[in-house]
Amino acid sequence: MNDEAILERLQEIMADVFDEDDLVVTRDTTAEDVEEWDSLSHIRLMVAIEREFNVKFTNAEIESLESVGDLVDKLKAKTS
Amino acid sequence: MTSPAMGNLSGYPETQALVRDVLDVWPDHEDYLARSMGARSDGQMATTEEVAAATRRLIAGRERHFAEGYKWTCDQLRQEELFFHREGRYRLATFADAEAEVYSRPEYMEPYVSGLLLTQALWYNHLGTFDMFLDRVLRPTREPFDYLEIGPGHGLAVFFAAQHPHVRSVAAWDVSATSLAETRKALDTLGVSKPVDLTEVDILSAAEPDQQYDLIVISEVLEHLEQPQTAVRFLKTALKPGGRLFVNVPINSPSPDHIYLFSTPDEVSALVEAAGLTIEASELYATQARPIEKAIKNRISVSVGLTARAA
Ligand SMILES: C[S@@+](CC[C@H](N)C(=O)[O-])C[C@H]1O[C@@H](n2cnc3c(N)ncnc32)[C@H](O)[C@@H]1O
Repeated sequence: MNDEAILERLQEIMADVFDEDDLVVTRDTTAEDVEEWDSLSHIRLMVAIEREFNVKFTNAEIESLESVGDLVDKLKAKTS
Repeated sequence: MTSPAMGNLSGYPETQALVRDVLDVWPDHEDYLARSMGARSDGQMATTEEVAAATRRLIAGRERHFAEGYKWTCDQLRQEELFFHREGRYRLATFADAEAEVYSRPEYMEPYVSGLLLTQALWYNHLGTFDMFLDRVLRPTREPFDYLEIGPGHGLAVFFAAQHPHVRSVAAWDVSATSLAETRKALDTLGVSKPVDLTEVDILSAAEPDQQYDLIVISEVLEHLEQPQTAVRFLKTALKPGGRLFVNVPINSPSPDHIYLFSTPDEVSALVEAAGLTIEASELYATQARPIEKAIKNRISVSVGLTARAA
């Protein structure tokens, strides 16, 4: 899957998890930029991504993946 | 406070001090606390300040230790959240498991219990139901009343009940002698003058009560039981005719020792009604003041406060 496609799916998942229908994210978006993206919703986000992409994150990954760019890169590595 | 969002604490010195104790140990928690505090009404802030004042007396001289326990507890809960959202259930399902993993391990219990004490003032959902108890259940009581609490833990509810001008007797039961010792210590520290009768009782196998009560409180206990319905049915028999039960139970709230999963507020109401009690009031408070509908849909923890009356 290319970056573009991953980003698009991530945006959909995030819109759903954060309950913000018109959420727009780019590679540069971080937890700082999204009001609803806090330490608790982060867990739900990661689990939703695991489900959608059929991957599993380690605890360390869950703690550290706090930007959309990092998520895209990690997913590219995990799904290729 | 460094953050402008904490500015609203200026009229609440005890709360401000408690927040500072935590941020000294865990500076990254500031945004969380700013949101939790910023969402509160004036009435909730007044209760927050009272709870914070009592909490600060309980932790005096050991603030760092308690703040570290709070951070540790929040870290544990994040692990449980992960399991819960992945699997759709609580990790442990039996009392024996919770006993083996949590209750019997002092190295786990100590920081956990310390942490939970601080959540009472710091977490929006915990404060929300405590404010309901204090402001809408306990304080409006105008007649003399006998008070019983199941699982008093940190003792804050017993403490406020014992100070009520119309309280006639105060009793609390807990299955754990260690927990009762903590409650006793807290009451001594806070200086309660009324006698408080603390008894080791397992609510799931309690004998017929030899006395009945006007107000029974069971807060953050039902989700720790394999058969919460047995407990509520028993409590109905311990209420005087016209007596009130105050229930506080979190739904979708993974925690190492939560073994009974309530997924909706209706499940909690149904349990209380099935015991033959009539619900008079119910209030819902989601973690971080999230809108209730969304919280339930997304399985975010919501505290359910209920007052029910015996016929
Ligand atoms: C999380 S604490 C609740 C403390 C406090 N009431 C609150 O709202 O935060 C749960 C308490 O319930 C007690 N408990 C658990 N199972 C019980 C049972 N079967 N009978 C009586 N008490 C029980 C525990 O020992 C513990 O003190």
